[in-house]
Amino acid sequence: MGSAAVVGIGFIPFGKHPDKSLIDIGAEALAAALKDSGIRPSQVEAGFFTSALAGRLFGDMTVGQNVFWEAGVNRVPIVNVENACTSGSTAFYLAYNAVVAGQFDLAVVLGAEKMCVPEFGLINSGQTELDTQLGLVAPASFAMRAVRHMIDFGTTPEHLAQVSVKNRRHAQHNSIAQFRQPVTLQEVLAAPMIVDPLTRLMCCPIADGAAAVVVCSPAVARRLGRAVNVEAAILCSGSYENPQNLTHWETDYRGSRMAYEKAGLGPEDLDLVECHDAFTIAEILHYEALGLCKEGEGGRFVAEGHASLGGKTPVNVSGGLLSRGHPVAATGLAQICEVVIQLRDEAGLRQIKNAKIGLAHCMGGDKAGDTKSCTVIVFSR
Amino acid sequence: MENTVETQIPPVVSGVFTLPPYDKTAPTMLGGLCKVCGRYYFPKPVYCRTCLEQVELTSVGSEGSIYSYTVIRTKPPLGLPQPYAVGYIDLEETRLRIFCLLDPTAIDQLQVGLPVSLRVGPLGHDGTGASCLRPYFSPRRRN
Repeated sequence: MGSAAVVGIGFIPFGKHPDKSLIDIGAEALAAALKDSGIRPSQVEAGFFTSALAGRLFGDMTVGQNVFWEAGVNRVPIVNVENACTSGSTAFYLAYNAVVAGQFDLAVVLGAEKMCVPEFGLINSGQTELDTQLGLVAPASFAMRAVRHMIDFGTTPEHLAQVSVKNRRHAQHNSIAQFRQPVTLQEVLAAPMIVDPLTRLMCCPIADGAAAVVVCSPAVARRLGRAVNVEAAILCSGSYENPQNLTHWETDYRGSRMAYEKAGLGPEDLDLVECHDAFTIAEILHYEALGLCKEGEGGRFVAEGHASLGGKTPVNVSGGLLSRGHPVAATGLAQICEVVIQLRDEAGLRQIKNAKIGLAHCMGGDKAGDTKSCTVIVFSR
Repeated sequence: MENTVETQIPPVVSGVFTLPPYDKTAPTMLGGLCKVCGRYYFPKPVYCRTCLEQVELTSVGSEGSIYSYTVIRTKPPLGLPQPYAVGYIDLEETRLRIFCLLDPTAIDQLQVGLPVSLRVGPLGHDGTGASCLRPYFSPRRRN
């Protein structure tokens, strides 16, 4: 039994929503989560909102109060959060901590991102940062990990492609996913090269999207029902020590170990993992850091089907970022939504039988060959 | 590539590499050195994380080898060439592993472990369209 629970989820299908504003998609996901949990807006004691790009793309700030008002939530504390790709999961972490501390009995976390705008280009970690000024873009930082992983461990382009094939196969039965058509190994390998050795189909697409999660105390969860327990929620930053080992991602290993220790569980206990597959090599590195396989074995782990639905530890049965797309601040919450759906046994054709323990993992931002943030959250039913 | 024109082109950021004219010295990357504990940093932080003393700007090296690299083939940012290359360089002098641009004219020669030397020249723009100097590592020339 965890010290807090998730009792409601809501989201909109990820993809292009040119006819809707950031406020529109955020309010839609928020209202869906409130209805899913069966609570009224007036019962919400705090709101945690996140959008990573609204400031840069639209010149907006403190959007949370605007969105929460649209679905009837006012007066209560509202916090606006930004933490790169972990913005959503970081907002969840803050809400969870506040509930565990007894500050609130019920809080709502909402992430919304509109990024399908003309000339969006490649994402970076901050326009004035030295690495950005020297040409670093997000896909390149992962491509350099892939190049080194191939040299150190014999990982192949086919291994990298297998992650896309698996996740697109998984996405067929997930209505939130932007891309639900399966792709073949040949199609992934033959797609245009973006950053060597990652082809377009090995990189997650952009998307507009929003997702929301209702977090509450165990006492409230007992009243509302359909609760999924939170066993641990971890947030950590990179070490930024020099030199960084690009294939043994210390921050990834550290975050995973902290989550397992806090939850009193290990990788062998997991029925499913949603992880940050922004690029296929990232998912392979996360298998290793999460202890799903030995270091260096990630490529073979996916190629042998261990990460597939029906395999040893199914990873990204939602289709992952590779199929949903990556509306930055909504992603971490969409991952949590999928774990909750699976643990409620409501996933339909992609349901993992008898799923009891699930883990949502996310990483965000680049700094000094390391990540800016890593979140690992463990759920049970 | 050094010439008098380049001495008038501003660096993309200051305090990260030495500026032309180089005369008899080679360009070098600049980082931090804590005079108390002897620790090197790149880029230079304000304070040493061990001693909390001010860190001095110092040369951290101009020669190294490629630890990893990639070629960016999609539409480039900041007016960089298409394609362009970046990598992590293990510097011989300080053992720091630093991120940097690689010579866009030497993409076919790139491989892990390749010895490289620092060069500085006009590469891309500063975000407003104005030319600027950037550091990049190029395959080391055989003497």
